[in-house]
Amino acid sequence: MAPRLTAVLGWLQERLGTREQLTRFLFRRLPVGTTWWHTLGSAALFLILLQTLTGFFLAFYYVPSPEHAWDSLTYIQQEIPFGRFVRGLHYWGASLTIVVVFLHLLRVFVMGAYKYPRELSWVVGVVLFLVVMLFGFTGYLLPWDQKAYWATVVGTHIAGTAPFVGDYLWRILQGGVEVGTRTLGRFYAAHVLILPAVLYGLILVHVSMVVYQGIGPTPRGPLARLRRQDYARLYEESKGRGETFLEHLVRDAVVAFVLLLALAWMAATWSIPMEEVADPTDTQYVPRPEWYFYFLFELLWQFPGKWTVVATFWIPLAGVLALLLLPFYDRTSGRSPLTRPVASAGAALALAAVGVLTYQGATAPAPPREGGAVTQETKALPPALAKGAAVYEAQGCSACHVLKGTGTAAGPDLTRVGARRADAWLRRFIKDPSAVQSGASMPPYGELPDEELQALAGYLAALK
Amino acid sequence: MAPDPSVDTVPPGRRRFVAAAMTAIGAAIAAIVGVPLAGFFALPALRRSERRWLEVGPVADFAEGRISKALAKPLVGPVWPRETGRVALYVQNQGDGKFALYHIHCTHVGCPVRWNAPAGRFFSPCHGGVFDKDGRVLAGPPPRPLDRYEYKVEKGVLYAGRIFKVNDRLEFAAWHHA
Repeated sequence: MAPRLTAVLGWLQERLGTREQLTRFLFRRLPVGTTWWHTLGSAALFLILLQTLTGFFLAFYYVPSPEHAWDSLTYIQQEIPFGRFVRGLHYWGASLTIVVVFLHLLRVFVMGAYKYPRELSWVVGVVLFLVVMLFGFTGYLLPWDQKAYWATVVGTHIAGTAPFVGDYLWRILQGGVEVGTRTLGRFYAAHVLILPAVLYGLILVHVSMVVYQGIGPTPRGPLARLRRQDYARLYEESKGRGETFLEHLVRDAVVAFVLLLALAWMAATWSIPMEEVADPTDTQYVPRPEWYFYFLFELLWQFPGKWTVVATFWIPLAGVLALLLLPFYDRTSGRSPLTRPVASAGAALALAAVGVLTYQGATAPAPPREGGAVTQETKALPPALAKGAAVYEAQGCSACHVLKGTGTAAGPDLTRVGARRADAWLRRFIKDPSAVQSGASMPPYGELPDEELQALAGYLAALK
Repeated sequence: MAPDPSVDTVPPGRRRFVAAAMTAIGAAIAAIVGVPLAGFFALPALRRSERRWLEVGPVADFAEGRISKALAKPLVGPVWPRETGRVALYVQNQGDGKFALYHIHCTHVGCPVRWNAPAGRFFSPCHGGVFDKDGRVLAGPPPRPLDRYEYKVEKGVLYAGRIFKVNDRLEFAAWHHA
């Protein structure tokens, strides 16, 4: 070692005891079979640090007020050198962080690393996951574009459905009776001051726990099943044959670097979706949440009316509690997923449900707009059918039906309805749905003039 | 040499005293700092009727028996924030000087509802909520009819006030932010 460096280290050693601390940290032994999967935690930390850094710099130009927020972001993206890139890192980095944090959670679950003696690391980790989701929710409003505004209206409405405290929660989140100036101020303060303080506090705890207990081992061989009384002996034994943290650090660095390359590529080449500036008076806008909240938005389909609170409150609450308390109700000795079929199957099921709902959200048909997509095609239709198409459009059928990929999928897709239903049946059905098919949820259109009804039914019957 | 740190180096009475003192001082600090901060954070949001009346427009602008979207302007606002942006609402002139003023947010999760005049219905674009011209739920997941504004007419001008929920018979159920 260079003599000067040795001198510096010696100076620090006398004052801080650096040598022992660093040695203990870097040269602690890891159990056998510490894999690339074990880099996800440090990858999450790397992305969080990067989010913090890019966030610091965005704050130099971003102004959290409805009058300036959108303009200041446009300025960042269009006028400032590297502005698009820096914001891109932060924007795409947010999604990537959520993905990596989730994969980290999944790794810990699959390897049974939440079990004795790491129950608290798991609990703190779940809270960290929720904090990261809150970063997403609060950061989302800041651009103050249409998407941001309306997603927040929906988000605060959902919070408002909570039993008993819903109304208060709703207003406290908004800072008043509507999403406005004060909501933006609150979300900004939460996003850049409060949540980071909470996040780094918890990360410190989380990482200290990992250092104290050592990393959760890959559940193979003697470690696939670990009874409490055997744990200490077997884990120490495994560490005796494993590598050091210093050696594992190379994996961490490689993963962080690859993630950064991917993120830089995204920031450089993907354009950031930015809509018109928020307009609370727009009644044509169709709100959509960010992709990591699709599952919740889609879940709402399953619980209409008075049951809404099941989807907006009880299921999320049950999900969070199931995660938080996992180490306390799953106390079997099995660590490998194959040795604990119930937990594995439950998790797979939950994962599949979230996956399916997210997929549904991602592939939902294009929302109907005023003077919707159908209008273009109707020009080419014969007059009789064109009239029916015009009625379809005017009566707002696309608010509940999908036609050629446009509309809302509340009712049946009508793209090929003519192949299933005849003209006369359609006419009777539209007039009074529940008389034709008991339990039909479509409201009756009895007041529709006969000639329009005929045109509409004729048009639908021709869709084959 | 100083003795090693150990619980036994401090007598039990003293330890109890320290615990009591720390609890009391800690609680006092938490209260002195916490109460104002909590109030600072939450109370403005919970204030009852901060926004008094919104000026919707001359009654003559709203044809009898029709529903139209209106942009209303906050009349007497607080010093800050001056939410200069207008508020959108639907106005139904029911005749005889009676009106119904509907909030534009769907009662399900708050998506903006559209009034479709030919169909005579309000449609929500998110989960297929449909309301009739009186705001009753016709289809879809909304749990209650459209919320309404209280209103008054002064010198031929329509004003919108506080927002309230109605029950399935369209009777007043509760103030929205009471």
